[in-house]
Amino acid sequence: MIQVEELTFAYPNGLPVLENLSFEIKSGEFVALIGQNGAGKTTLLKQFNGLLKPTRGMVRIDGMDTRKSTTGLLAQKVGFLFQNPDHQIFLPTVAQEIGFGPANLGCSREEIDKRVREAAVQVGLEPYLNDNPLFLSKGQRQRVAFASLLSMRPQVMVLDEPTTGQDYREGIEIMEMVKALHRQGHTIIFVTHDMELVARYAERVIVLSQGRILMDDTCRRVFYQPDVLRRTNLFPSQIPCLVQRFDRYQEEFGMPLSVEEFYKAITDSGGEEYVHCS
Amino acid sequence: MSIVANYLNRDSLVHRLNPLTKLLWSLWVMGLSFLFGDLWVLTGLFFSVVGVALIARMLREMLPVFKGIFFFALFFWVFQVFFISEGQPLLTLIPGNPGLRITDRGIFIATAMGFRLMVIASSFPVLLATTQVKDMVVVLVEKLKIPYNYAFMFITSLRFIPTFMNEMEQIIQAQCSRAHRLDSRNFVTRFFSICPLAIPLMITSVKKAEQMAISMETRGFGIGKRTYLHRHDFSRTDWLVSIGLVLLAFSVVIMNQMGILN
Repeated sequence: MIQVEELTFAYPNGLPVLENLSFEIKSGEFVALIGQNGAGKTTLLKQFNGLLKPTRGMVRIDGMDTRKSTTGLLAQKVGFLFQNPDHQIFLPTVAQEIGFGPANLGCSREEIDKRVREAAVQVGLEPYLNDNPLFLSKGQRQRVAFASLLSMRPQVMVLDEPTTGQDYREGIEIMEMVKALHRQGHTIIFVTHDMELVARYAERVIVLSQGRILMDDTCRRVFYQPDVLRRTNLFPSQIPCLVQRFDRYQEEFGMPLSVEEFYKAITDSGGEEYVHCS
Repeated sequence: MSIVANYLNRDSLVHRLNPLTKLLWSLWVMGLSFLFGDLWVLTGLFFSVVGVALIARMLREMLPVFKGIFFFALFFWVFQVFFISEGQPLLTLIPGNPGLRITDRGIFIATAMGFRLMVIASSFPVLLATTQVKDMVVVLVEKLKIPYNYAFMFITSLRFIPTFMNEMEQIIQAQCSRAHRLDSRNFVTRFFSICPLAIPLMITSVKKAEQMAISMETRGFGIGKRTYLHRHDFSRTDWLVSIGLVLLAFSVVIMNQMGILN
C-alpha cells in the first residue's frame, strides 16, 4: 500500500529531518509510529498524503508517486486526521462539515448525503448532524474531523496523536472506532506518546529517532527490547515493564502485552495458587 | 511579511543605538522624503537607507525586502507615468490620443515618486530588523510617555504575525487534506476558496487572544505601575547621531531655500 524508498527530507534551509528511510506498509496493517518529540514522526506522516514531498528518494501510495501527485488527489486514498480539529472546522453544521470533502471530490448531492450519514453513524455523531460543530466538546469536534475524512472513503487512515487532550474514555472510544475501521480492511498508521494505546491496538511498531528508524517490528518484540527503547527515552507499556522485572521467570511468562495475557501466563506457569491467594 | 517584522540579531553600531535614535532616523528619512520632490535628494535618501542596512551588517537579509518594495514601486511607476502630461512627449501609446503618452518630465516625476515610495517603505523594515520591539516599547513608554496598554497592543500585534502564519500553514494543510483546491483560475471561486482558511484562522485567533488575556492576568497584568528590567540610556553616539541628523536636515532645508539644491 505504502512504499517508502530511501526517503530523505529536509525543510528549506534546514538539516535533514528524515534520513534515508526505507520500509513498506502493506494493506490492512495497524502501525504505530513512536519516538521522542522532534524525531520526525509528523514529518513522516505528512509524506503519506503529499503535504510534504521527499527531498530525495520516493514515497508511493498504492503505486502513485507522491511527487507527481497533489494532496487533493491523494486525499481519496489517504485520510489525514490532524491533532487540532479546530484547524479545519468552518461550516455551520456538522453535516455540511462532513460533506465538505466529498463535495470537493465532485460527488453528487445524493452521494454526499449518503456518505455523510454513513460517516456520522460510524463515529456516533448522528444526533448532532444539524448542530454547529464549534459548540461541541473537543472530543466530539475530533469526531467531526474524523467523520469528515471517513466520508471521503480513503483506504489508509493516518492519525496524528488522535487522543491528545482527551480523557481516557474519549481516547479509547476514538481508538475503538479506528479499530473497527481496521477490521473493515483499512490500513491504519497512527502517532502517539501513549504506550498503553500502542500495546492495546498496534500490530506493528516503527520507532523513529533523530529522523532514522531505530526499530521496525511487532509491538511485542519492540516492547521487550527495553535497551533500544531507552535510547529514545521511551518506556514500554506497564505489563512488559513489570514482566521484565521478573528476571528469573521471564522465560516462563513469555512476552505478554495486556493484563489478560499476563494473567494467563502466570496461571499457565503454575502460579495459579498465588494469583488466587492475592 | 515575517522578514519585515523580524528582528535580526547582529553586533553592529546600528543595533547598539538607542531605539529612540533609530526611530528619529526613520522619521527623519520619511520627513525629508515628503519635503523634497527632487529626484536626486530622494535617490540619495534611498541609498542612505541601504547604507544603514549595510552598516547594520544585514544587507543580504534585507535584499528580499528591498526587492519586494522595488517591484511595488515599479508597478506604481508604470501607473503614474501616463498621467503626467507636462513636458516633451517621448512616446504615444495610441497615436492621436493625448491621454496615453509618456513625456520626459513624466518619467522624471514618476521616478522621483517611485523613489519616495521606496524610501518611505524601506526605512521601517530596517528599523524593525535592528531594534527589538520590546526595547522600542519600553522607550516609547518611558521616554515618550505613551500609555503602556497602547504600546503593549502594538507589540502584541507584531508578535502574533509569525504565530498566525504558522496557524495558517496548519489550516491550509488540513483543508488540502480534504481535497480543497486553492489554485482555481476562476477569480470568483478563488475568492470563495479563502473561506475554509479564513474562518478557522479567525476562530483560532480569537481563542488564542482569549488564552493570552487570561495568562497575562494570572501574571498580574494591569495591577498598577510597572518597572522595567533593562534601562535604555542615551549614549554619546546616540547624541552625536541625533544632533547630526537634525543639523543635516536643517542644512538641507536651508540649502533648498537658497536654491543651491536646484
